[in-house]
Amino acid sequence: MKTRIFSILCENVPGVMMRVSRCFTRRQINIDSITVGIEPSGLARIILLFQADDHMAELLRRLISRLTPVIDVQVIDPGTSIVREVVLLKTRRLNNDEMWKVMHHVEKAGGRILESKGNALIAELSGSHEDIEKVIEEIGADVFREVARSGQVIISRELE
Amino acid sequence: MVVMTGAKAIVEALKAEGVKHIFGLPGGAIIPVYDVLYDEQEIKHILVRHEQGAAHAADGYARVLGKPGVCMTTSGPGASNLTTGILNAYMDSSPVIAISGQVSTSLLGRDAFQEADMLSVMLPITKHNFIVRKPEEIPKVVKLAFEIATSDRPGPVHIDLPRDVQVGEADVQIPANVTYRKIPKLEPDVEEVRRAVKLLVQAERPLIFAGGGAIWSGASAEVVELAEMLGAPVVTSLLGKGIIPEDHPLSLGMLGMHGRMAANIAVTECDLLLGVGVRFDDRATGDVRYFAPKAKIIHIDIDPVEIGKNVRVDVPIVGDAKRALRAIIDGLRMQAVRQRPSKWLERIEKMRKELAPRMDYDEVPIKPQRVIKEIMGVLNDDAIVVTEVGQCQMWAAHYYIVRKPRRFISSGGLGTMGFGFPASIGAKVACPSCDVIDIAGDGSFLMNSQELATAVENDINVVVCILNNRYLGMVKQWQDLFYRGRRSAVYLGETPDFVKLAEAYGAWGDRVTRPSEIAPKLREALKCGKPAVLDIIIDPEEHVLPMVPAGGRLDQMLT
Repeated sequence: MKTRIFSILCENVPGVMMRVSRCFTRRQINIDSITVGIEPSGLARIILLFQADDHMAELLRRLISRLTPVIDVQVIDPGTSIVREVVLLKTRRLNNDEMWKVMHHVEKAGGRILESKGNALIAELSGSHEDIEKVIEEIGADVFREVARSGQVIISRELE
Repeated sequence: MVVMTGAKAIVEALKAEGVKHIFGLPGGAIIPVYDVLYDEQEIKHILVRHEQGAAHAADGYARVLGKPGVCMTTSGPGASNLTTGILNAYMDSSPVIAISGQVSTSLLGRDAFQEADMLSVMLPITKHNFIVRKPEEIPKVVKLAFEIATSDRPGPVHIDLPRDVQVGEADVQIPANVTYRKIPKLEPDVEEVRRAVKLLVQAERPLIFAGGGAIWSGASAEVVELAEMLGAPVVTSLLGKGIIPEDHPLSLGMLGMHGRMAANIAVTECDLLLGVGVRFDDRATGDVRYFAPKAKIIHIDIDPVEIGKNVRVDVPIVGDAKRALRAIIDGLRMQAVRQRPSKWLERIEKMRKELAPRMDYDEVPIKPQRVIKEIMGVLNDDAIVVTEVGQCQMWAAHYYIVRKPRRFISSGGLGTMGFGFPASIGAKVACPSCDVIDIAGDGSFLMNSQELATAVENDINVVVCILNNRYLGMVKQWQDLFYRGRRSAVYLGETPDFVKLAEAYGAWGDRVTRPSEIAPKLREALKCGKPAVLDIIIDPEEHVLPMVPAGGRLDQMLT
């Protein structure tokens, strides 16, 4: 089992996510991360992360390619791509020490504080999935009341 | 551009696709379209008695004609009753266009009366499906639906048609064609063909395994030509029956769980297997680890998903079966003269003779093998044999000699009991001059016997030959063989009286209890000028043998 990344270009029509995701459900594969964005052309790009062996990954690529609204399925090598995740963190009321700790770690990781009111704050971070996990762990998960994550967005490093 | 209602637009769009028949049953949410059909001369609507019957009839129609069959229903239960038939068509790659009414767009998602989320329900069981949002979209959607249903690997397409879209008016134009993004890869890859030719030249024991894809591609002549050129025997899947005349010296018949023994042994012994339009279904392959264990495998299929899905493949050829076989034949012609595999052909000939199945039983109660023999004796090569599902189907598949493609129609992938009778109605509508027989079991026939009314009212004179053993026979067989004879919930009792049932509908009915009566009664049924039911009382203890137990090896058959 290896981490697989598909970048799927498809028509931006209702139901397209369901058509894509049911290919995974049917084969009992869990999707680790799924993000959708609209390209300048008006087409949608779905980026999917999942674990599968070679045979299953290739079968899924063909199954998804076969779907009517799908235009192209790009298989992205995690080793030669840029992976980012954005996370918004909302804390509970903090004491002064905790406040400084959160601000310190967020700023050290290149993030920023978006809102603060009373003793609570909202911070933004971006980075690899692992980087973000690390920051949350360093601060201590009990500090956060809500964590909103974008899922992983990926682009291959290749330039024309 | 002409201003018309969506209902008018859908009928015009269907006519533009050459649709001549619709199998359907109206209801509240599709009345606007039926109101247009009321004046329609070019399309004949055949009113079924249950929507499942409409889907199977459209499927049977499509399989005989090689063109899409159309079915139409109302929303909610009407549409959901289509699902088994649509899934059946999907599993067997049959181009069915299903159109169902839907509640008005303003009511969507409010659990309105007879609202069902058919977009979601149909999504996993169609090749593609649509919900139309505006009347002006209709012509394009219909055009696309037919394009999708028939291009590359065929399959069903569902169109959900909200009521306000049918009633609303718009400027519409029936497009001559639409841009469909998926351009199928029809031409085989030259390099793969070259590799295939090389393997075929080297092979000492080549074998062709042809299926439904070869039938859809119209590759019958190419399969026979290649077989004769190579001296390669041909085995088929259930859906491949008829791709080669089954009395051809190189035909070994169907392989698999209830296949011919010679076919299964040939698969096990061959050193090269050329799969054409097959998906290596588990009922065909048995345990894949022992499927063609000595062979290199070449697989021709138009759907890349099928390549390597179930069995390892040495040479994959993605493309149209007919074109790929033609390319292989041309490639072989350029090779130096190849020795005919005479030892292999001797072996095949010997197996064909020694393992030919026995059918000449005279016993009473009648043996089902004898029934198939008698039916074969009465019907000509153009007759269409449709089957129900279960023992009756496997007896037909095992014993019946089919000589032409599209003349043996059966529910393969889904194994849908109740398919045969409505499908035979569709088959007869597709080919009114053909004799059409439904080889049925009593259990299967009862699942859609209400369509006798459809057949009688529309003068669709098909003959149902019930192999009546008063059991859900295939389940009983498994219970006998694998569950110590504990026949749980398989005895159907003595009801109904199928002759009276036929007569109640105004059909012809008669009962057969002796082998000698089968042929004369069948001839009478075919000539009676009505739909007919022949209730043939068979030996309830008879099993379909030989048999490869589920997951077993093809060369280890129970006999």
